[in-house]
Amino acid sequence: MAPRALAYVLAAWALATALACVLVRHAFALDLDAARPGVVVASAWRGGELVARAVLPHPGDRDTAFDAVASGPGVTRVEERVVGEGPVVAWPEAALSLSFVPGREGLVARLDGRTAYVTPDELFSMQAYDHGIAVPSMQLSAGLDLPFAYARAAERLGVTVPELRARASLRRFQVERVVVAPAPAPPRAITPDALDLADVRAGAIGMGRYLARGVDDAGRFRYLVNATTNQTLPGYDWPRHAGATYFVAQIAALTGDADVRFAALRAAGQLRDHAMIACGDRRCIGEAGASEADLGSTALAVLAFVEIARTHLDDGYALVVPQLTDFIRSQQRPDGELMHVYDRRERHPIDVQLLYYSGEAAFALARAHGLGGDPRDLDAATRALAHLAGPAWSFFGSRYYWGEEHWTCQAMDELWGRAPAATLDGALDFCLGWQAYGRQLMYGPGDTPFDADGAYGAGPVFTPHLTPAGSRAEAGIATLEAARRAGRPAAQTAVLEGQMRRSLAMLLRHQLGADRAYLFADPVAVEGAMPGSDVDWQLRIDYAQHTGSALLRWLALVPPS
Amino acid sequence: MLSRRAAVVFGVADLLTGALVLFGVFVALPARWAPVDVPAAVLGAIEIAAGGALLARTPWAEKLARATSAVALALGLFVVSLLAVTASWLSGVYGPVGAGGAIILVLVAAMTLPYLVVLPVVQLVWLRPRAATPGAVVEE
Repeated sequence: MAPRALAYVLAAWALATALACVLVRHAFALDLDAARPGVVVASAWRGGELVARAVLPHPGDRDTAFDAVASGPGVTRVEERVVGEGPVVAWPEAALSLSFVPGREGLVARLDGRTAYVTPDELFSMQAYDHGIAVPSMQLSAGLDLPFAYARAAERLGVTVPELRARASLRRFQVERVVVAPAPAPPRAITPDALDLADVRAGAIGMGRYLARGVDDAGRFRYLVNATTNQTLPGYDWPRHAGATYFVAQIAALTGDADVRFAALRAAGQLRDHAMIACGDRRCIGEAGASEADLGSTALAVLAFVEIARTHLDDGYALVVPQLTDFIRSQQRPDGELMHVYDRRERHPIDVQLLYYSGEAAFALARAHGLGGDPRDLDAATRALAHLAGPAWSFFGSRYYWGEEHWTCQAMDELWGRAPAATLDGALDFCLGWQAYGRQLMYGPGDTPFDADGAYGAGPVFTPHLTPAGSRAEAGIATLEAARRAGRPAAQTAVLEGQMRRSLAMLLRHQLGADRAYLFADPVAVEGAMPGSDVDWQLRIDYAQHTGSALLRWLALVPPS
Repeated sequence: MLSRRAAVVFGVADLLTGALVLFGVFVALPARWAPVDVPAAVLGAIEIAAGGALLARTPWAEKLARATSAVALALGLFVVSLLAVTASWLSGVYGPVGAGGAIILVLVAAMTLPYLVVLPVVQLVWLRPRAATPGAVVEE
């Protein structure tokens, strides 16, 4: 092909592509008009179940049969006012699944002159958002769970799902949601600039009480709960059990609430009496029949036991702590790094490194030294911190890529004034660098369709997860406290403080409360919990623990005036 | 006829491009999907064949390299258009795509452009059939 002809082809291609982009964007963008909503989808909810539905042509219209149900006892009447409607990409299924903004948009199906709306509240209730496409290797999932939405739309249209898929016209719609009756309390605006300490305190206590309510008589948590159905889902994990116990103990000390206190003691008792096993000649935390034990379970159990002893919930736990720190120290290498697994059959450590455990061990040893004063714990914690903030993360490009260092930076703060200044200064620089890196990845206002200012994410189709913001806030506030003690410039600490305010305000806005209670089978059971994301309402115990601990750190950092 | 230096440069470039396409699709991508796998397999195979032929200086090497470049360019333009339209679709559905999303899409496009657009264009221009020039000296 002659160069001139090739140039013409390329120019035509560029023009066609640009034109296609403009047309596609225009075709798929919703023309939202909240001031003049179209139809109103009125729903009556009781006990988390949809008991009546009416589609009203205009705002203010009434439906007698619907009103009769909606005015019944225990029923919440909600209007989802359609403010925009647009097309979807019907093929491939992955594109269709990604055609709905999670939490904001529903599916409307039209067939033979009939219309069925599957609203965002229904999709929330079914937990259908973010379950369409899974990327297991990255632990990510996104998109609408289409079978759920198809089934509901087909049921409304009185056809089978295959018929719906073959013949119906599918579109998306966005709503403005109004809880009509009973009238909800006006929501409190929680913003970074107006981060009220009373809200922070109430948020932390709510999370602690949620976890405490889930501790059974044997001392086990409701590890994973589906908020909408209030069902406990399978799975358990000792490190998270221990971390949750640590946080519940903190809340017990803060509130003096007897129920929370006994929950903390039951959970700690479960660890001490059923999970403390032999690791060679020492004691560690793990499963009795398991051939291996991991370091993280023991480290977080130390945190829990130290907190219970330190706050005098039960002083006896101070006697257990040295047995466990002895095990942690025995797992340390001469360079300060820790070996994360112990082979119980062969009776020796296995020198592998897993996410979090070294930081957890450093923090646990530092807290244990604060309680018992054993210099060996201080020495081991200091060496672990020096390694984590030094050689462990020193390679070409280490300023462009970071691990999860939330335990490391809490250890740094905990050791302040006790470890050598050079080690602490280096660790503080490391933690400030990590937070600065996070700041670059943090969503700002308007970056996504979600309420995500202060959250971390990877593009528009993945709803930001909340726990990373919670755990990074725990560490960020610890870093802020250390930076202030170290006399770092006010400009540096002010930036970090602003970053923490954004995360905390965002997290508090997502805490489960009264505003969506009508979608829960048992609203009281899940009140105060932290969901996985804006639309993922599976509640795992560490979600509340990390965010709750961050809120407690903020309360300690900014004492009430 | 193509000079030895040009044959080596284009041959190596084609071999690398073929290997990169096969690696990118069959190793880096976590799932198998025929609409991506089949064109990638075909493109990877003909890029490697064209590269080998250019290095071996077979008589049909230039023809194969031109055909391969045309296929690569067509696929490359299609992929870049697809990425651009996908970004526009995401922007239409979700509104702001955020800095992270934009960076990911730009990086993917930037990784595609040199191998599947720029190289084939250069190769098509360089390897275009020319009328024989009397007395022309072929570099060896």
